[in-house]
Amino acid sequence: MALQRIGLVVPSSNVTVETELPALLRRHPSADFSFHSTRMRMHTVSTAQLAAMNTQRERCIMEIADASPDVILYACLVAVMVGGPGEHGRVESAVAEQLATGGSPALIRSSAGALVEALRAIYADRIAIVTPYLRPLAEQVVGYLESEDLKVADWRALEVADNAEVGYIPGERVLEAARSLDLTGVDALVISACVQMPSLALVEAAEEEFGIPVVSAATAGAYSILRSLNLPVAIPDAGSLLRADTVSVPA
Amino acid sequence: MTQLFMLDVPENTPIVAVADQDPHVTVDKVGPYFRIAADASIVIDRRATGCRHAVWYSSVAGLLRSRITQWDKDAMRIEPT
Amino acid sequence: MSQLPHTVRGVDHVAFPTFDPAGTVAFYRDVLGFPVVHSICAAGWGPEEHPDFIHFFFDIGNNDRLAFFYYFGYEPPQRGVKGDVYARFEDDIPDFFVKSRHLAIHVDSDTDLLEYRRRLDNSQWPVELQVQHETIESIYTHDPNGYFVEITRALRPVTPQEDLDANLTADALVDVVKGPDVSMAALLTRKAELIVERAADWEPAQR
Repeated sequence: MALQRIGLVVPSSNVTVETELPALLRRHPSADFSFHSTRMRMHTVSTAQLAAMNTQRERCIMEIADASPDVILYACLVAVMVGGPGEHGRVESAVAEQLATGGSPALIRSSAGALVEALRAIYADRIAIVTPYLRPLAEQVVGYLESEDLKVADWRALEVADNAEVGYIPGERVLEAARSLDLTGVDALVISACVQMPSLALVEAAEEEFGIPVVSAATAGAYSILRSLNLPVAIPDAGSLLRADTVSVPA
Repeated sequence: MTQLFMLDVPENTPIVAVADQDPHVTVDKVGPYFRIAADASIVIDRRATGCRHAVWYSSVAGLLRSRITQWDKDAMRIEPT
Repeated sequence: MSQLPHTVRGVDHVAFPTFDPAGTVAFYRDVLGFPVVHSICAAGWGPEEHPDFIHFFFDIGNNDRLAFFYYFGYEPPQRGVKGDVYARFEDDIPDFFVKSRHLAIHVDSDTDLLEYRRRLDNSQWPVELQVQHETIESIYTHDPNGYFVEITRALRPVTPQEDLDANLTADALVDVVKGPDVSMAALLTRKAELIVERAADWEPAQR
């Protein structure tokens, strides 16, 4: 099978996307992937900096499309969500238009869109989320998901403003926040609604512990990429979302 | 028989009115078109119609058994073929 | 006449190349007041050698858009002696043909037409011609790229019989170009035949 080239548009201080996505997709049983990224300058997850970041989108798409990726993941989740309901659709359309007008066949997906796509794929209506954000930003994320007809039953904001610091949040702290949530009647837990807060190592264990599907921005991103490329969704040890196409072998 | 058709719109009615002044010419309607007919030739003086050039030169919708032998700023002349 | 459902919604965009984006923006946005409503910055990623380019769009009313491409580092040699930056012609091509392709933009009233006339006359691109046709009045100029632009208003509303007439002309023309004698005389004869065939029945259908 041909090597699939994945383009990543990431906030400049983000290190987690380029860690967790390759780690996930490397586990794919049949397909091989290479990863190529382009960066949008951003340090503080504030509304002002996020707005400034979005103006770099055109340059980033120009750069990454030169590498002829098969699919581009616009991995700036909260930056999209602060744009208000429907923003991921608008961003994906603008990028698709930019690619198409220049004759690039690359597909475009976004982390924000992928999260919604993944939750719909597992028929999750009531969810709970953990975010590293300051409360006002976390509320915007909640509002965005609710505008997509998801009910956010409970949520946490770890209130870490510096994006570099978010990349160092220990798994224990994330898990502790998840354990503090009221998961009554919740269909799925989004253990990290952020592309910088690391959570990959937690997903499978959390799903065992809480007894409900657990997704993260990263696992949702991987799901969306695999679906876009018509590849089987069969990644082990990262939650049931990514085992959608895994054939169970009876014990 | 010479037959000339003109669409019944406000710009054309002065042309039809001038054509109708000739006792040898008959004018009737076929749907929304005036049919201007005569046994021999039909001559319409442009200045008598008061028409602007643009209207004058786009007034003819159809010709049956006829040909235009003169169509200029002075007059339109239609002869039987 | 076509019975197919007609659900298209006008001009998404009509696009032209430009080598003078500053002049183009000055003319359409600053002189005529057409807002810039969209832009795409892209490289050419397809199989052919393709420069980086900007594709920018002006609103020309009714959500219709006029768009331009500006290619970085690309300007073909200007051949011919007349035409615009896209279509160039040698001296042997008559002016009526050179000027045939044009964009005509609609305004509702005489006041609006005069206002656009005023804007053009106060600019580097004054109105070159003002003409009254049978049912329309128009002003004309060339944009900075040499594209021929018309702004026009209707002097009276189009009548239903003109729609019929247009369809008869189209049908007559299609018939005549297939035949041995392709001329205006042949067209007028064929159209007369169609008038006799169809026009008498038209009126009753309209009542």
